[in-house]
Amino acid sequence: MQATLEKAGNAPAIAFPKLALVKDERALVGAHMITAFSALAIGALLGPFQAFHRAPGFVEAFPDAAIPVFSYYYQALTAHGTLNALFFTFIFISGFSYFMTGRSLQRKLWSLPLAWVGFVSMLLGLLAMLYVLLTDPQRSAVLYTFYPPLIAPPLFYIGLVLLVLGCWITAANVIVTANLWRKEHKGEALPLAVFAAVANHWMFIVSSVGVAVEVVALLLPASLGLITRTDPQLSRVLFWFFGHPLVYYWLVPAYISIYTLLPNQTGVKLFSDPLARVAFLMLMIFALPTGVHHLFADPGVSEVNKAIHTFFTLLVAIPSFMTAFNIGATLEAAGRARGGRGLFGWMATLQWNDPVVAAQLIGLILFMMGGFSGLIQASAQLNITVHNTSWVPGHFHQTVGGIVALTYIGIAYWLVPMIRGRALFSKKMALAQVYTWGLGMMLFGHTMAESGLNGVPRRSLTGISPFLNEAAKFWLNGAAVAGVILLISVILLLINLGATLIGAPRPVTDAPTIDTRAPERVPAILNRWGVWVGILVALTLIAWLPVIAEALSVTEGFQILRWLPSGVPVP
Amino acid sequence: MHINRYERAWLTAVAVTLGVFAAAMLVGLLAFGIRLPSPVARVDPNNLANTPFAKPGLKSLGGARYELYATAKMWQFDAGREAGPLGVPPQIRIPARSEVTFYVTSLDVNHGFYIEDHSINLEVVPGQIARATVTFMQPGEYKIICNHYCGAGHQVMYGTVIVE
Ligand code: HEM
Ligand SMILES: [Cu+2]
Ligand SMILES: [Cu+2]
Repeated sequence: MQATLEKAGNAPAIAFPKLALVKDERALVGAHMITAFSALAIGALLGPFQAFHRAPGFVEAFPDAAIPVFSYYYQALTAHGTLNALFFTFIFISGFSYFMTGRSLQRKLWSLPLAWVGFVSMLLGLLAMLYVLLTDPQRSAVLYTFYPPLIAPPLFYIGLVLLVLGCWITAANVIVTANLWRKEHKGEALPLAVFAAVANHWMFIVSSVGVAVEVVALLLPASLGLITRTDPQLSRVLFWFFGHPLVYYWLVPAYISIYTLLPNQTGVKLFSDPLARVAFLMLMIFALPTGVHHLFADPGVSEVNKAIHTFFTLLVAIPSFMTAFNIGATLEAAGRARGGRGLFGWMATLQWNDPVVAAQLIGLILFMMGGFSGLIQASAQLNITVHNTSWVPGHFHQTVGGIVALTYIGIAYWLVPMIRGRALFSKKMALAQVYTWGLGMMLFGHTMAESGLNGVPRRSLTGISPFLNEAAKFWLNGAAVAGVILLISVILLLINLGATLIGAPRPVTDAPTIDTRAPERVPAILNRWGVWVGILVALTLIAWLPVIAEALSVTEGFQILRWLPSGVPVP
Repeated sequence: MHINRYERAWLTAVAVTLGVFAAAMLVGLLAFGIRLPSPVARVDPNNLANTPFAKPGLKSLGGARYELYATAKMWQFDAGREAGPLGVPPQIRIPARSEVTFYVTSLDVNHGFYIEDHSINLEVVPGQIARATVTFMQPGEYKIICNHYCGAGHQVMYGTVIVE
């Protein structure tokens, strides 16, 4: 099945079969997918129970109910956040990056053994995290943002370090492979999917330095008892150096599917390839100088720095609007080609009955809602009304839990069958899953937003809170109803993927077409990675050095080492 | 690079919209004085003896202006004894139409300081002083809610502002 072609000198080119995976690819991509969706299985099954226990109506009706296995609310919430938002997404991104890079470039990875080292690292990280969450629920309940002075057992941080190490290996592998390809194909531009992946992995490498320093220099030593003091404000700054790029790290792989696979799946070409590249580069260079918008309410960051990051935050909204146009125009062409007429008629003729296409379309609808609430959060002063309320989880379940998770699930609906060599167990079940997810997240996002506007805090077992007003209780009960719909959706997903892996009866008949070359003309400047990564680093330094300096300083003056000796004790 | 006519129009509209957002924020800041928290000073959470946090509570600054020093710790706010005994959610009484500047710090982990229906929503970070000014117009009871996760009792950490 695997034919190695001799072309372009002795470049290790592969002709991939359309409906099957070659051996190395099956093992590597398959291992990532199965591990990622196992993490999601645990994480996402917890979500609905959190929604139930946050609802006063539920607690009143079932005072003795407990969350299965994870009985302590904040332990479950930590598991939900880390497993869904970190382990599922990161491991999926690595597997999908390997798949798309190999296929688009028709080439072997730079280093397959290294890719396996990365995978094993992430797997061990996942096991370490599960172990510490289950064996030490009280101390490990520091949530997926692990702000000190709450300090978890060392294994918690070790699990995260192993996960990020795996991501770095993936990043290096994808970037080097793309470079080798460019040397073998002088003058050609990378296919869009790989172009986007390279931008995304560069962004990850630069941004994860912040959280790596935080974990390795501040948290792990405190957890091991090597230091007894810490600086909570500095920690928050270092975390959000990473935290905003993180959301694009999740988003870009979904965009890769929507920009490069969805056009083929709907039978058209992407409206504008060069503008897609501009959008990906903008996401990369503006992802970092924006992170302070998560710190609008922090006492240790000045208004000047908050204003600078607000400015870049508005800029980084532009690539999302560019995406709206580019994808909108692409889908319009697709709808019209399928006979859709009139101003909106083209929408109706898209393949709403195909789970893979529907997952992406519904993901886009959720993203419009989430993007809207995001713009509100990003508007510095409006942020005061919603910061740390349920509004925020309402927003990010329509973004990371919406377009991101749903598009990844849509990808799994064709990729898992290819891994197994068998067609998806049930297309109908997949469709039902996609629609319940969409409906559930719309309702969840709305009810959470409303409860947030009524003062409900996020990250809280509000089902037993004494301070809720009637409207707050109403909307929290509504979120629990959304939880029921989403629980059904998660169960449908797991049954379908599980049954497909056990072995559905029919062979695979469907797989997306993957572009292996860029359209003719890509402006040369877009291929100059040195320039773009340079701009990324420069903007990062300009935007973050003052914030870090401020966090380190005391008001009497700039005393860089004061934070340790006069820091805050670790309880 | 070729840019489609409609896309050009769309991008212009986007730029204008974002410009309006930026302008609205500037107006909010300059004309309405809506401010974000910014650094006040650092304190040592273990050693508040020589700071106003040693004796939390409401202080009149004359006229309708007040300042309130409060501390947060797992899982209660302390707004001084006039607001009730320690360990019971504090009740802070404030005359209507007064302007109160809140100063809050934490004795242990991160907390939040949010008051229903008023523009105050602070991260209370140990080692830092969080500050915000609010005017209370309407008489009524408004909950102060800790909205930053602070451990097992986070869901019951609150207080009340009674505007009378
Ligand atoms: C399947 C349905 C899901 C339901 C019903 C659900 C429900 C919830 C609820 C109720 C919370 C808020 C808890 C609180 O603030 O106290 C929450 C938090 C969160 N969820 Fe989900 N969720 C689901 C899926 C997902 C997915 C797929 C992701 C990401 C891929 C995700 C990521 C998160 C994150 C990052 C948090 C924040 C945790 C924190 O604040 O520490 N959720 N979820
Ligand atoms: Cu952000
Ligand atoms: Cu709290």
